Formats: sequence, C-alpha cells, structure tokens
Amino acid sequence: MHIVVCMKQVPRDNSVKINSDLSINADGIEKIINLFDEYAIEEGLAWNEKHGGKLTVLSMGIDEWVEQMRRALAMGATDSLLLKDASFANLDTLAAAKVVAAAIKKLGDVDLVFCGRNSTDDESGAFAPALARALGWAQLTYVGKVLEVDPAGKKVTAERHLETVIETVTASLPAVVSVIKDINSPRYPSLLKIKKVAKIQPPVWTAADLGVSGLSAAATISSRVPPPPRPSGEIIDGPDAAAKVRKLVDKLLENQII
Amino acid sequence: MAGVLVYIEQVGGDVAAVSRELMGKGQELAASLGGPLNALVVGGDVAGLANQAVALGAATVYTVSDASLATYTTDGHVAAAIAAVGAAQPALMLASASFQMRDFGAALAADLDAGLAVDVTDLKVDGGAVSAVRPSHGGNVINTYSFAAGRPVVALVRKQSFAEAAGGASGGTVTSLPLPATTMRTQVNNVAPKTGAVNLTDAAIIVSGGRGLSDKDNYYKLIPPLAEALGGAYGASRAIVDAGWVPYEHQVGQTGKTVSPKLYVAAGVSGAIQHLAGMRTSRNIVAINKDPEAPMFRVATFGLVGDVNEVLPLLTAELRQRLGR
Ligand SMILES: Cc1cc2nc3c(=O)[nH]c(=O)nc-3n(C[C@H](O)[C@H](O)[C@H](O)COP(=O)(O)OP(=O)(O)OC[C@H]3O[C@@H](n4cnc5c(N)ncnc54)[C@H](O)[C@@H]3O)c2cc1C
Ligand SMILES: Nc1ncnc2c1ncn2[C@@H]1O[C@H](COP(=O)(O)O)[C@@H](O)[C@H]1O
Repeated sequence: MHIVVCMKQVPRDNSVKINSDLSINADGIEKIINLFDEYAIEEGLAWNEKHGGKLTVLSMGIDEWVEQMRRALAMGATDSLLLKDASFANLDTLAAAKVVAAAIKKLGDVDLVFCGRNSTDDESGAFAPALARALGWAQLTYVGKVLEVDPAGKKVTAERHLETVIETVTASLPAVVSVIKDINSPRYPSLLKIKKVAKIQPPVWTAADLGVSGLSAAATISSRVPPPPRPSGEIIDGPDAAAKVRKLVDKLLENQII
Repeated sequence: MAGVLVYIEQVGGDVAAVSRELMGKGQELAASLGGPLNALVVGGDVAGLANQAVALGAATVYTVSDASLATYTTDGHVAAAIAAVGAAQPALMLASASFQMRDFGAALAADLDAGLAVDVTDLKVDGGAVSAVRPSHGGNVINTYSFAAGRPVVALVRKQSFAEAAGGASGGTVTSLPLPATTMRTQVNNVAPKTGAVNLTDAAIIVSGGRGLSDKDNYYKLIPPLAEALGGAYGASRAIVDAGWVPYEHQVGQTGKTVSPKLYVAAGVSGAIQHLAGMRTSRNIVAINKDPEAPMFRVATFGLVGDVNEVLPLLTAELRQRLGR
C-alpha cells in the first residue's frame, strides 16, 4: 500500500518575532519536525513495515524544510515530495490543504494519509479535516491508537482520543488520519542512515505541475502582536508559610476568585 | 448572508456551558451584523435542547434529528450543518474549539469554502465585517483574522472566552430540517468514557504540579487534595507527564491542553514558554515556587515564594476550613 505522511517544519520553541509585513520571524531558532508529525511518521512506518509498499513524506513548504524531510527519510520513509511555489506562500490552512490534495490525487495510488494533531507554531489542527474533505475521503482525527489497517478490505479502525471519551471508529480507505502525541514512540534514525540520505533532493512539484491556480486565502491576518503583558502581580509576604497561606486565601476570597 | 448561527453542543441532555457562552456573544454579534441569532441542534433527540436554545435567545432553532445522528460522525453532522447553513444563510457560524468541533468545523469550512478561525478568543464586527482574534505560537503571537467578503466565516471558540447568555428569552421558533442524504464513510463502533478522565478545559479551577513535587507519590499526596479542596481539577507539566507520574490527559501546555480557567494554581512548575502557552490566558494565576526568579511569577496574579512540601498541606487545610469542604 502507499502511505503518505504530511509533515511540517517548525521552530523548536516559539520565542518568535513578528516582521513588519506581519510574517513570522523565527531566525536563529533551531528547526525541527513538527512534534506531532514525528508520531505520524512512526505510525506510517509501522504500517508500512506490516503491509509493504511505499511511504512518502510530503511537505508543502520551502527548500529549508528539506533538512527535516531528510530526517523522515532517515527514519525509514521510502519517498519524499516537496510542493513549492511562490503562490503557496500566503495561503490559509484550507487552501494549503487543497494544494496537498491535488498532489495526493496526482500520486494516484495513495491509500492512507497520516498527519499530526496540529502544528506547534500555527496550531490550527484544521489541515487534516480540510485535506480529507478536499479529497472526498474519510477522516479520523485525534487518533491515539490505530487498531487495524486492512488494505484488502479497504478499511482502517482506530481509537479517537477526545477530551473525555475514546471512540472506536472504522473508516473506509482511502482515509486521512491525524495522530496525537502518545500514540507510539518515534524511532531515532541511526547516524549511518542520516548520512545515507544526506544528499537526497526530494522531487519538487509546483502549482503548474499540480494544475492549481487562483487559490486564495479566505482568512488573512490583519494584525499580529505579542500578547499583552499581564497586569503585574502581587507577591504574598509574611513571616512564615502559614501566614502567607492565610493571606493568600484572604486575597482569593476578597477578590471572589474562589 | 446575515446574522449568526450557533452550533449547540450538549452535556447530559443540557446545552453545554460553551454553547451558552456562544449564544451570549452571538446575540451581540448578530445585532452588529444586523441579522438574527439562530441556533442549530443536531442529534437523535433534539426537542429538549431546541427549547433550551430558544430560551437562550435564538430567533430560529434549526434541528436535524435522526437516530443516525445520535453519535457524532463527520459526514452526518457536517451534512446536517450544511442544510442549516442553506436555510439560515449566516454570515458567521460559531462552535466551540473542542476536539470534536475542530473535526467538524474544519470539515464544514472546507465544504463551504468559508473563512475559518480555530481557537478564537475574541470576535468583533466592524462595518459589517467579522474579525477573529486567535493566539498562535504557544500564545506568543496574537493574530487578528479578517475574512474575504462574500464567504461565510466559521469560528471555533475557546471555552470560557465569553459570558453566558442570560436565558429566559421567548418568542423564538423551532424549524425541523429533513435529514440530508449523505455517504457515511465512518462507523462508530464504541464510545467509552476515559477512565478517570478530567476535562481540564471545562474546569473553572485547575491546580497543576511540576517537577518541584519531587516524585509521583508526593504529587498525588499534595496536588489532588488541594484541587479537591478548591473544587477543581488537577493538571501537570510535561516534565512529569513524560516521567510517567501523571497521565497525558492532565498535561497543560503547547503539546497538551490549552486552558483558560478562572483560577490556575501552578505549584513547583517553573513556567517554561511551552507550559505558559497552555495557561497564560487564565483569569487568575497563583504561582507557588521556592525560586523567586521562576518565570511563572511573571504571569502570576498572586505569587507565593515557598516550598511546596510546606505550603501545599497548609493551603489545603486552610481552604478546607474556610470553604467548609
Ligand atoms: C516542543 C516542546 C513542547 C513542549 N510542550 C510542553 C507542554 O505542553 N507542557 C509543558 O508543561 N511543558 C512542555 N514542554 C517542556 C517545557 O519546556 C519544560 O521542560 C517543562 O514545562 C518543565 O516542567 P516543570 O516546570 O515541571 O519542571 P522544571 O522546569 O524543572 O521546574 C520545576 C520548578 O519547581 C521548582 N521547585 C523545585 N523544588 C521545589 C519545592 N520543593 N518547592 C517549590 N518549588 C520547587 C523549581 O524552582 C522549578 O521552578 C515542551 C518542550 C518542547 C521542546
Ligand atoms: N504545509 C504543510 N505541508 C505538509 N503538511 C502540513 C502542512 N501544514 C500542515 N500539515 C499537516 O497538518 C497537520 C496539522 O497542522 P495544522 O492544521 O496547520 O495545525 C500537521 O501536523 C501536518 O501533518
């Protein structure tokens, strides 16, 4: 079977700056595979090992992302694909999903797509559902355990881990699955493997290759600012812990916080 | 396109608190948009919820009712919502930012080619145009989104962002819509409550512990009893979740839950940027830490410098006595 894992590169931490054109400036911050996507890659690898076939790691991004795509190849992905075009730069999540959907359709033989629960920078979590709808496929989001992938019977069964319940759901294949953090333990690629893939250049498909044009963002960012500082707080003083605790409880009651 | 359509979620047969919040804010936004506030109830048995939605101020409550809708499925519930959007033609559709509603709202927005904003903390209408505020980058960036004209907007709103609708309204009507024909690509085999599940995002008070609690036994000795004395839930930093002290469901932060309670108590939690990402919008924050330089003090409403082993038992006892618990 052919499994695709959608992967983003993100800054390791979010101490980012805001450029004057409202784009995000993460210069100087180390870049990593989006945390949840490492779990998506591991899950893809596990089912690829079981059923054989291809595992393609796919990003709609920029050349810089190739470094993290190579890490996925070192983990065991068999193929890679970069979607890159100047016109992709300012798309919103829904339009980005349409671009990726066009690529998956062009691949033609994809049975299953794994995504992360969300990106840790943009944090929307809308990509996987938007991708599934653009493809007209089933979606299983917030998956904490994949119980069965059955390529012959064309179905996948998984546990969706929601806030207070676990749903066990069977979806028809092809399908899009988004995974949460504790679904598995992602492997570390060996140095040997990292070396082996160091020069691989993923094939690049542009908007023209995909036949996508006229995409526009329905949501655009009109302002971007750092969070307002919290009003400065009060340090509770007292001669000993018991006095401080009494004073704290007084304050919480006075201000009707409890 | 005019007005607002609120997707009503339920908890045990009653309208969920977050949906009451959306009806409260929806009233104001609908007035600014010059259109009605309407609601949508989808499910197996909708009559009780529909009446409650009328009391919360809906002009029209659209219902789509069928046994096949009793359990959520993306295909079933999105199809029902598209039918209601067709009938109500809203400029803005509101739902919560719960996991299930993100599954739903993103799919709906994709199908409608709508503008989408997820995890919204504020909404405005200016000159007939909707804008939505949402944090990203672990709360380090606050974005305001504008939307393309002529396309509806779907906003998935963080819990506890707005005051609840007062209730007691009357005069609204209920309109039942037929079940749309849908291809169901998923089948729900089972829905099981998570054992010991806490819905941290629902809790009005959360007490979180971190590595300052020393070990798992000490965490359970000190944190849950304090949470109980406050009538709240207990949370954790990633450090101690990864160390296996506390299940992942309790993790607050960028890769755990995002919470906005009335009171967040952080004990022995340093206040790393990724932890703050999950709780910095809490209305009140109490930091308890032996290190006066801990970053958590910079966001705290009240800070108490001290050893958790000494402070927490005293605090729990004091609260039990003063609150009579
Ligand atoms: C991609 C990524 C995602 C992450 N996501 C999250 C996330 O979702 N949530 C999260 O929490 N973290 C997250 N982290 C981890 C985060 O960076 C911190 O490592 C973590 O929050 C630290 O946990 P802590 O505060 O319990 O531990 P520490 O940072 O070790 O802090 C312990 C604190 O306890 C205090 N202390 C020690 N002993 C006592 C005592 N006896 N009495 C009182 N105080 C005491 C210390 O002064 C210190 O401030 C993430 C990191 C990365 C890289
Ligand atoms: N530009 C992209 N290229 C490939 N995959 C993406 C991209 N953006 C998002 N994804 C996938 O969608 C998931 C959720 O991202 P988001 O909805 O943006 O928070 C990520 O974990 C990735 O699996």
